[in-house]
Amino acid sequence: MNRFITAAAVGLVAVAGFIYISLKPDQTANSAYDVALGSGQGKTVYFNAWGGSPAINDYIAWAGQRLKDYHGITLVHVKLTDTGEAVGRILAEKTANRTSDGSVDLIWVNGENFASMKRNGLLRDDAWAFDLPSWKYTDAKALPALVMDFGNPTDGLESPWGRAQLVFAHDQAVLATPPKDAESLRQWIKDNPGRFTYPQVPDFTGTAFLKQIMIELADDPSVFSQDAATVDTAAATAPLWSWLDDVTPHLWQGGNNYPKNYTNMSQLLGDGEIMIAMAYNPAQFSNDIKEGVLPNTVRSYIHNGGTLANIHYVAIPFNASEAAAAIITADFLLSPEAQIRKANPDVWGDPTVLSISKLEAKDQDAFNSLPRGIATLSEDDLSASLAEPHPSWVAVLEKGWQDRYLAGN
Amino acid sequence: MIGRGILLVVIGPILIGLIGAVLPALGYFPPLGGDHFSLAPMQDFLALPQLWRSIGLSLFTGLVATVISTIIALILPGLLYGRKSFHLLRRYLAPILSLPHVTVAVGIFFLLQPSGWLMRIISPGLTGYTLPPIWALVPDPWGMGLVLGLVAKEVPFLILMTLAAMSQINTAPLLTVSRSLGYGPLASWIYVIIPQLWPRLRLPVMIVLVFSLSVVDMAVILAPTTPPPLAVRLITLYQDPDLTVRFTASVAAMAQVVLVLVSIAVMMAGARVLAWLGRMAAVSGYRSSPPRALARFIIDPALVVTSVVPCLAAVAGLLAAMLWSIAGVWRFPSAWPSAFTLRFWSGVVDGFGDAVLVTAGLGFASAALAVVLVVMWLNAEDHRPKSSSEHLLVLPLMIPQVGFLFGLQIMLLWLRLDGTTMALVYAHLLFVLPYVWLSLAPAWREFRPEWLHLGASLGASPLKRFFRIRLPILIMPILTSFAVGFSVSAALYLPTVFAGNGRVTTLTVEAVTLASGASRAQLGVATGLQMALPLVVFVMAGILARQRPARISYFS
Repeated sequence: MNRFITAAAVGLVAVAGFIYISLKPDQTANSAYDVALGSGQGKTVYFNAWGGSPAINDYIAWAGQRLKDYHGITLVHVKLTDTGEAVGRILAEKTANRTSDGSVDLIWVNGENFASMKRNGLLRDDAWAFDLPSWKYTDAKALPALVMDFGNPTDGLESPWGRAQLVFAHDQAVLATPPKDAESLRQWIKDNPGRFTYPQVPDFTGTAFLKQIMIELADDPSVFSQDAATVDTAAATAPLWSWLDDVTPHLWQGGNNYPKNYTNMSQLLGDGEIMIAMAYNPAQFSNDIKEGVLPNTVRSYIHNGGTLANIHYVAIPFNASEAAAAIITADFLLSPEAQIRKANPDVWGDPTVLSISKLEAKDQDAFNSLPRGIATLSEDDLSASLAEPHPSWVAVLEKGWQDRYLAGN
Repeated sequence: MIGRGILLVVIGPILIGLIGAVLPALGYFPPLGGDHFSLAPMQDFLALPQLWRSIGLSLFTGLVATVISTIIALILPGLLYGRKSFHLLRRYLAPILSLPHVTVAVGIFFLLQPSGWLMRIISPGLTGYTLPPIWALVPDPWGMGLVLGLVAKEVPFLILMTLAAMSQINTAPLLTVSRSLGYGPLASWIYVIIPQLWPRLRLPVMIVLVFSLSVVDMAVILAPTTPPPLAVRLITLYQDPDLTVRFTASVAAMAQVVLVLVSIAVMMAGARVLAWLGRMAAVSGYRSSPPRALARFIIDPALVVTSVVPCLAAVAGLLAAMLWSIAGVWRFPSAWPSAFTLRFWSGVVDGFGDAVLVTAGLGFASAALAVVLVVMWLNAEDHRPKSSSEHLLVLPLMIPQVGFLFGLQIMLLWLRLDGTTMALVYAHLLFVLPYVWLSLAPAWREFRPEWLHLGASLGASPLKRFFRIRLPILIMPILTSFAVGFSVSAALYLPTVFAGNGRVTTLTVEAVTLASGASRAQLGVATGLQMALPLVVFVMAGILARQRPARISYFS
């Protein structure tokens, strides 16, 4: 009996001590990341990201392997057909008052989805992204888009992952010299009926193409950096609509059908149904050649005045189950090791968001010695870029397009 | 008691789900700032560009596909009745029935798109094309490609239902009497048999109608996009990054429900008119069949062609999908790939292993559960009269999925059941159970209770009578309904995504993701696996049923 009481007492003291230790504020913890590093080890992160590209899926699988090795974290790629699915799920969770244990730990977003999630309070809001150790390798002064997502301040709610630029592609064996500005493209479409199209709005790439043409044709493109509500949108978009009115009857399938997204366009280019394709990823066409979707005579190009460029990010929902492990994951995705591999055209070919000059010498070398895909433009060739319009223009373009062209011809 | 329990299981979540769509449609959804009722969402919905054309397209494709499928399913068995091919009909239906809808759509698209297999085979020889034509067979402005896909999938289902209904009426003697009164074979079939088949087919036809009107996965591939059918726009609205669009989406979901109800009414009214015309003709004594030549050279071939072409298109398309999965390089206009590779199949275990296991597990669990519940339901009929409440079992098939899935998702979140295996099996059960019921109930009711009375008179307990008499005799239809349930579960897309939190990947989820991009080769592999799995279950069910040593050939 006595022995039992002693054992119980020792046990109680041990439990109390443990509780004390675990509740004691950690003096050394000074950032979200340090806290995360302590509690995020060995957890499972559900990463919700578009799953339509084998190259990207393989890269995410590789990142999962590394996270397992370094932190024991299991990275599960929830393959989305549309980011809106995951946003809808987080919204449903908020509706059901699920303020923790959410189903999404990390989500791949930018632009309109980010703006919408930020506005509706669906994101973790402690500016964790600025606390990541790898953040020091970035240079937001040289690349302001790192903290301005489509002109919307990120406020540290999302961490940059990669850069993208709108590029076009043609098959040299079929079309020797592609048209490189909106005006010559208009003429080319009329001369080659049925061989040009763009993904159906509101697809991301389709909308990007409209923005590209809109900016190219505008007298004063500076209006597009302002909130559309404060601008005469009818006047600003008039040249775009007249351009589209001209070309639509001559589009692929007479403008009665449109491809679903840019990967569909690659297939159509490979089949010879169309002669010009586009993607918001400079390495896309090299990947497609590697996958056998496109012949190796395909090359990419951009328009003379430059093309749209933006940055894509990862964000953590307000109710993530494993926010700490998600923070560790986001930091790894931003690390030189992960960024070097991502920029490799044999893997994905997504340009880095890091500032090369801020890296250690060996990482700089690694970046400089990366191969370039056969159909991927050099950094120099891609240097002519256009800023994304304010996110409010997306709705203007979607509405305008649907009013005019949703009826087909 | 059992009956009420089962009904609650099926109807409860749907009603709750519907409330979850009705409230936002009326402007009430506090998380997005909608804290009072308003008509604004309704006005936004009505202001959608090309709305009426979308609705018209949905109505047209849904009604045409249903009418064609119904006519074929009612008349083809009559044409073939008494011939050898009649037995072939039953044997070859099951495999086609087991194909997921999206698989058929992918196949038809691989075949008929401008750079599809058909065009590759006849080019450049017949067409002179070295580049794909700039016109397209699918998607066509009228949505006939979608109609083709729907007919290919729905005809086998409806014919199976017709065969089941035929076994419940005295087909052969009725036909003999009618023929002896001087009516031709087709006239006999139409005057005597169809009026008896129709009441038993009404429910399956409604299910086909609802499905055709609200189908999303097939429509995304085969329907025109300027504008797309209402169901596709509904999904786009639900996925809009601007969350306030969800108010409009909820109205669209309600509109979809109304559209379905209106179409059912139209269809039933049409059937009434036809029935009245038929009765007039019958009463008038009109009995001359159409001229022999007309029947022989026009009506019969037309029917056979309309029922065979969609199936052929589906099969050829699936062959094309298989070719793509082993094609290294396949450029237009080559009829065959110029290089073959197995690399897409070699990664199949890594890439699809989990998906295969999840699909099989979910299918087995939900189909087994559904069979048990349906057997309990039917067994209870011994003690109470057949009630009309059984029609409520098919409610989940009568309401467009998107109409209640978002609300259902919120309920699962509240109960903290989202993403659990239980929630997934339950969500699948909602859709599997009605099909299991439809395929098992007719055979079950054909069973003669005299066998049980005989057993009872020999002193067998109710339990023993059930397991030793009823079950062995009914084992064939039970296993078939299990296989039907499995293939329904394997094909479910939206319910899997909603109840599984997107974290659960079945083969159908993979296929739809791959169809949204990626390579045709991988889509081909996923399509192959999707075909194989339900087929394996059908074949296994057949073998199992046949291997019973004491098999009683009650159903030949």
